[in-house]
Amino acid sequence: MLLQIKNLKVGYGNIEVVRGVDLNIDKGECVGLIGESGCGKTTVGLSITKLIPERRGITSGEILFEDRDILKLNPEELRNIRSKKISYVFQEPFSSLNPVFTIYEQIKESLEEKDNSDSQIAEILKSVGLEKIIGRKNVYPHELSGGMQQRAMIGMAVASKPSLVVLDEPTTALDVTIQRQILELIMELKNKMNLSILFISHDLRIVFSIADKIGIMYAGKIVEYGLKEKIISNPGHPYTMGLMDSIPSFEHRKKLFNAIGGKAPLFSDLPIGCKFYPRCKFRIDKCLEKEPELENVSSGHVSRCIRIKDMHYGVIKNK
Amino acid sequence: MELLKISNLYKTFKKHKVSAVDGASFSIFKGEVLGLVGESGCGKTTLAKLILRLIDADKGSIFYKDKDLLKISHSDMRKTRKSLQIIFQDPYASLDPRMRIGEVIEEVYDIHKDVTGREKKNKAIELLETVGLGETYLQRLSSELSGGERQRVGIARALATDPEFIICDEPVSSLDISIQAQILNLLIDLQKRKNLTYLFISHDLGVIGSICDRVIVMQSGKFVESGSCETIFRNPKHEYTKSLLESALLS
Ligand SMILES: Nc1ncnc2c1ncn2[C@@H]1O[C@H](COP(=O)(O)OP(=O)(O)OP(=O)(O)O)[C@@H](O)[C@H]1O
Ligand SMILES: Nc1ncnc2c1ncn2[C@@H]1O[C@H](COP(=O)(O)OP(=O)(O)O)[C@@H](O)[C@H]1O
Ligand code: SF4
Ligand SMILES: [Mg+2]
Ligand SMILES: [Mg+2]
Repeated sequence: MLLQIKNLKVGYGNIEVVRGVDLNIDKGECVGLIGESGCGKTTVGLSITKLIPERRGITSGEILFEDRDILKLNPEELRNIRSKKISYVFQEPFSSLNPVFTIYEQIKESLEEKDNSDSQIAEILKSVGLEKIIGRKNVYPHELSGGMQQRAMIGMAVASKPSLVVLDEPTTALDVTIQRQILELIMELKNKMNLSILFISHDLRIVFSIADKIGIMYAGKIVEYGLKEKIISNPGHPYTMGLMDSIPSFEHRKKLFNAIGGKAPLFSDLPIGCKFYPRCKFRIDKCLEKEPELENVSSGHVSRCIRIKDMHYGVIKNK
Repeated sequence: MELLKISNLYKTFKKHKVSAVDGASFSIFKGEVLGLVGESGCGKTTLAKLILRLIDADKGSIFYKDKDLLKISHSDMRKTRKSLQIIFQDPYASLDPRMRIGEVIEEVYDIHKDVTGREKKNKAIELLETVGLGETYLQRLSSELSGGERQRVGIARALATDPEFIICDEPVSSLDISIQAQILNLLIDLQKRKNLTYLFISHDLGVIGSICDRVIVMQSGKFVESGSCETIFRNPKHEYTKSLLESALLS
């Protein structure tokens, strides 16, 4: 296992927003993390290399990367991991690129070996489909379109030949056709470099198209986890079912969506028991007794819902 | 019945020499939901603004009932605008963060000057209820609302003048998928209940396919294909439409 996150808890100020997350990523595997805005996805991603403000910050857990706990590394070792082993791509390419340096300068900065940098940079630009700017050393970020900027970001992220890349909503700001191209690029690099990927997004459609395994996050915890195929064919949590019913498509023409009502709870005011209770169509009083644990739905597919077995055995009608 | 008939509409932004809308002709029928799809920058928002005369067209005509909107006087246009409304993409940018929601809605009546005092407040409450928010939101600041709530306020504001035609310019693109479904439900429900006519702009073919009757596909200022949703989705003719459909991840 390349990365094992165990019982991660993270807070900002006096509010805990990641409330005990476990997540594993194997070599060459793409794990998708889905959940609505504010549920804690980015915080999980940032925690992997301890990029969380110190005040409160990470209060519990282990982050085993290549069998060493990142949370126990000294600053020098941590810097080494951040610059060589684990890299990030964020939603807004423009705000992540430095506007006052050229694309060439920025890619050079992330190279592992600075010798022969021009030919290395050319190689990288080619691999992310930016042949057009090979040799054009005076190109600045603002001269590129959003899609090209994101390609440059991905180029920088893979320049140091990392083993893990965290992609946090990398295509959310882009339009569909460009989105598709970027996803294809990511898949291609993943296969070529045997990269491991944590792919964060609120858009199920995108995660379904790219991930091998999927974690669904709600209010700071994983509520369902498993192989993509299992989740798609047999969603194991009412929240996941609601998200799937919310996907707009031609097939659902002109019908009202079976949408999830209400909105996610505030971390400062979490409901007792199951955190999804206020919005859940299947809730019963027993759901209020305590927050459900993750339990097996089938092998390698877990869910945090006390009624899921009843649903799957047809005791409850799945409307 | 043809509600709007647009013929040979052109708009070039001189400074950058961009032909944002390059000869658009189409009709919108009463009670239909017409989709407008195309990638970023192809001219969708420009077309929307031209129809409402928020920017001036270079040439062409826009007939609403029997009036050419490009020829009528400004005061006539102001009256007509009550029937033609728009909901914008970005619920953050389109509401002033310092204003209370009550004010945001009542402001519409100040512009159109036909509702007074107490009546304004009652109307605002009624509208907030229509969009699923309710009276408690009157005093809230728009900066305190979530994206979905803001979009509901945007919809309430568009409904305030009792329009018959609404342009929805990417009304759900910036929202999470679960909230997106709630807003689409609201828009579909309102359309049926009030027999509204929508021009629905999106680059998301999933969204277009789920709510539109007909679709126009636009590329670099030009219409490349149009037809019923069935035809465009099942049997696209143009290469560009095909590539959009392939990108759409309609899995
Ligand atoms: N006020 C303006 N001045 C100059 N150029 C403009 C102006 N408004 C739009 N444009 C240009 O006109 C073209 C069409 O823009 P428009 O906003 O209509 O696109 P859109 O299809 O709505 O895109 P998006 O999906 O990103 O909203 C673009 O090339 C844009 O840069
Ligand atoms: N730097 C920060 N300081 C305080 N609160 C934060 C900070 N970053 C995120 N939060 C809060 O933590 C929660 C989880 O945020 P985040 O991890 O960004 O969620 P997501 O990526 O799923 O949208 C949210 O309630 C958010 O407002
Ligand atoms: S535990 Fe109860 S409230 Fe929670 S998701 Fe399951 S059925 Fe719904
Ligand atoms: Mg985030
Ligand atoms: Mg636009």
